[in-house]
Amino acid sequence: MTRYLLRRAPSALVVLWLASVLIFLVIRAIPGDAAAALAGPDASPEAIAAIRHDLGLDLPVLTQYLRWLGGLFSGDLGRSYLVGGDIADLVAEGFSNTLTLTLAALVVAVLVALLLGPIWAATTNRWVDRALTGFHTAAVALPPFVTGVVLIIVFGVFFRLLPTGGVPPKGMFDRLDITAQYLVLPAVCLALPVAGVLTGFLAETLRSELRQDYVTTVRAAGVKRREVVVRHAMRGALPVAITTLGLQTGALLGGAVLVESIFSWPGLGLLIEQGITRRDYPVVQVLLMLSVTVFVLVQLLTDVVHAYLDPRVRLGAQA
Amino acid sequence: MSTTDVLTVEGLRISFGAVQAVRGIDFTVGEGEILALVGESGSGKSVTARAVLGLLPGKASVSGSARLGDQELVGADEEGLRQVRGRQVAMVFQEPATALNPVHTVGWQIAAVLRAHQPLSKAQALKEAVRLLDLVGIPDPGTRVGYYPHQLSGGQKQRVVIALALANSPRLIIADEPTTALDVTVQAEILDLLRDLRDRLGTAILLITHNMGVVADLADRVAVMHQGTLVEQAPVEDLFARPTRAYTRELLAAVPRLGHRAPAAVPAAELALELNQVVVRYKDFVAVDGVDLRVGQGEVVGLVGESGSGKSTLGKVAAGLLRPSSGTATVLGGDPATARRHIGFVFQDPGGSLNPRMSIEDCVGEPLRVHKVARGADYRARVAALLESVRLPAAYAGRRPRELSGGQRQRVGIARALALGPSLLIADEPTSALDVSVQATVLELLTGLQRELGFACLFISHDLAVVDSLAHRVSVLHRGRVVEEGPHHEVLRTPAADYTRRLVAAVPVPDPVEQRVRREGQVAPVG
Repeated sequence: MTRYLLRRAPSALVVLWLASVLIFLVIRAIPGDAAAALAGPDASPEAIAAIRHDLGLDLPVLTQYLRWLGGLFSGDLGRSYLVGGDIADLVAEGFSNTLTLTLAALVVAVLVALLLGPIWAATTNRWVDRALTGFHTAAVALPPFVTGVVLIIVFGVFFRLLPTGGVPPKGMFDRLDITAQYLVLPAVCLALPVAGVLTGFLAETLRSELRQDYVTTVRAAGVKRREVVVRHAMRGALPVAITTLGLQTGALLGGAVLVESIFSWPGLGLLIEQGITRRDYPVVQVLLMLSVTVFVLVQLLTDVVHAYLDPRVRLGAQA
Repeated sequence: MSTTDVLTVEGLRISFGAVQAVRGIDFTVGEGEILALVGESGSGKSVTARAVLGLLPGKASVSGSARLGDQELVGADEEGLRQVRGRQVAMVFQEPATALNPVHTVGWQIAAVLRAHQPLSKAQALKEAVRLLDLVGIPDPGTRVGYYPHQLSGGQKQRVVIALALANSPRLIIADEPTTALDVTVQAEILDLLRDLRDRLGTAILLITHNMGVVADLADRVAVMHQGTLVEQAPVEDLFARPTRAYTRELLAAVPRLGHRAPAAVPAAELALELNQVVVRYKDFVAVDGVDLRVGQGEVVGLVGESGSGKSTLGKVAAGLLRPSSGTATVLGGDPATARRHIGFVFQDPGGSLNPRMSIEDCVGEPLRVHKVARGADYRARVAALLESVRLPAAYAGRRPRELSGGQRQRVGIARALALGPSLLIADEPTSALDVSVQATVLELLTGLQRELGFACLFISHDLAVVDSLAHRVSVLHRGRVVEEGPHHEVLRTPAADYTRRLVAAVPVPDPVEQRVRREGQVAPVG
C-alpha cells in the first residue's frame, strides 16, 4: 500500500504545482485593480501607487509568484488586504467550521446512498422504484439555494423546529445536541445532491453486479436474495461508488460556498465569497489552493481505497 | 441402476413471450445416475436446467411439472425454491472464470453458501470449506481457502465451483456444460472428479452438454433434445450403437473423430508461410519461444495446443498483425505486413468479427473496397459470387449480421477472407463457437474451397479431431514451443512427444464402449 502511495505521489505533486500556477495567473487576469479597490474611488494615483508598493504588486509577476509559493511552504500565507489579519488565522477558523459541515454532509450522503442504493437496485416493486427514481431526480436536479430555502421555510419558519442559520453560540464542541440542531439543515442541504448522485451510481453498479454469473452461482446455491445484494454484490460495487464519492468531494466543496451563505455558516465558503466580491486576492488565492489540495488528497485516498478493495489490483494478476 | 427417482420432469413447457423454448418434455434422473441432456444451441437444454431451480428471468413462463421426490418445483414460491437450491439440487456452470465472485476469497464464498443452509459459525464454515476443497482435489486446501479466484487456474476454479455445489450435500447436481470452457487435459480431470463424486457420494448428476465425447465418457443415460422436444432417450451404449431417430444419427455423424481420415499426401510446393525462430515477448512473459513453422502452397497445416500455448499469437505474427520480438516471418517470400492483400483471416467469433451496422454485402466486399479492386456492378457481381461460393443465397446480401445464424455468419467470415483470392488463409478457431452439425458443414465447405482454390491454410484449433479432419500436417504447440510436428496421421495417431500423447489421451472418444476401455486401461493410442 505504501508503495502504491509512493507511485501516485509524484503525479499528485505535479497537479498541485500546476494548480498553483493557474490560480496565481487567473487571479491576476481578473479585471479590476486590487490597490484601486482598496484605496477607494476618490484616492489619488499616488495613494494607489503607494498601496500597490505596500502590497508588493509592483514587483515582477515571477517574483510575486515565487514569494507566494515560498510563503505556502513556510506556512506564511500572507495578509488579508481588507481585514489586515494573518490569512492563516482567518483560514484556520473557517476551515474547522467548513470541515464540520462537509463531514456531516458526507456522512448523511453516504448513509442515504447505502440505504437507498441497494433497495433501488433490488426492488421488484414498481412503486418503490418510482419513488426512488423521483427522489434521485429531485436530489440531483434541485440546487442548494432552492432546497436550502425550502428547508428553512419548512423546519425553521413553519414548524419552528430548528435554527435557520448561524453556528452554536458557545462553539461547536460545547453541547453536541445543540451543535447537531444547528448542523442538520445545512448538512442535509449540502448532502442532498451528493446523496442523489451516489445513490444512483451505487444502484446502477449493483444492478450490473447482479447480472454477473457469480450471482447466479450463489442464488443457485440457495443464498437469500438480501444476502446476495448486501454481502456478495456490494463488495464488487463499492470501488465504483467510492471513486464516485471522491469525485463528489468537488461538488461538496463547491456546494459549501452556497450553503454557508444561505445558512450564514461562518466557514471558508463565506470567506471566499467575501474575498472575491471585495477583491481580497491573497485570501482567495490561498482558499483556492486549499480546495485543490483537499481535492487531490481525497483522490489519492480514493485510489488507495479502491486498490485495497479490489484484490486483483492489490495482489496483482497471477494465474 | 436407479431405484428411486430424484428428479421427475413431466410435460415441462417453457416460453419467452411467443417463443416456445421447451415444448413439453418428460424425463427422470434416478438416484446416483448421470443423465446427459444433449442438444445443440437453442435446443432448450440449459433453459430446462434453470427452470428446475426457478432461475429463469421473470419474463419466462413455465408450465408442467418438475418434481423433486414429492415436492413440486414449478410454480413454487421463492422461499420454497431457495430451500431446494443448494441443499437438494445444486448447479455447476460453464464458465469458471465468471462463476466466482472476484472480490471475495473462495473460502468466504463456500462459507457463505454453507451458512445459507446450515447453522454454522464462520470458523466452522471455513473449516468445512477446507474439507470441501480437499474433496474436490485442490492441493494444499488450508492455504488455498484464502485465495481469490484470480489466483487459481481455470481447472481449479471449476473445482471450487463444484465444491460450492457440493457444500450442502445435494441429491442432484445440474452441471451445465461444466467442461466446455476448459482445455482437454483439464476437462479430463474434471470429468474424473464428477464420476468419482457420483461413485463416492451417490450424487445424481444431470449433465448438460453438446460434446458427445463428454457424454460417452460420463453418462449412464442420454436424452437428446432438438428444438424444445426430447427426440430420444436411451442408455448411453444403446444410443451410440443403435440410435433410433434420424436427428440423433445426424448428430452423431457430425461429431469429428480422431483417426477417421485416410492419411493425406503432403503437396510438395514452394512455401507460402515461413516462420523462423519466432519469439514473442510481452514484457517478462514469453508467449512464443523460438517457433519454426512452414506452410507450403496448397497445404493445410493444423496448429494445435491448449489455451495459453501461443497459437493465436503465432496466427497474428503470420498475418503481419504482430511483429515478433526476434526471428523472422515470411509470407510468399516477403514481409507479412506488405503481403497482407494475399492473406485472408477467419476469426473465432463470427458474431463479434462482423460489423453489426454493415450489410452482409458490405461485410464481404469490404476488402474489395479497401484495396480498390472492384466498384459498381463488378463489385456486386463479385460479392454475389463469393456468397455463392460459401453457399449463401444471394438474397442475404442486404441483410445484417444479426439476422443470420452462427454458422451462416461464419460463412460470411470465410467469404470475406477469400474476397481478394488470398494465397494464405489463417483460420483461428473458426468452428469452436459453432454447434457440431454446423461445424461439420463449415469444415466441409472450407475443405472444398481449399481444394478448389488451392490456397495455403494455417488452421489454428484446440480441437484435435477437427484438425485431423482437414490438415495435411500438424504442429503441436506447448508453452510457446513446438513439441511435435509431422503428417496429421502420425502426430495424432502415433504421437512421439509425451505432451502430444497426453493431449490425445485426454480427448474423450465419442463412443462409450471404447472410451471405457481407454479410461480403465488408460490406453492412449487411437485407431
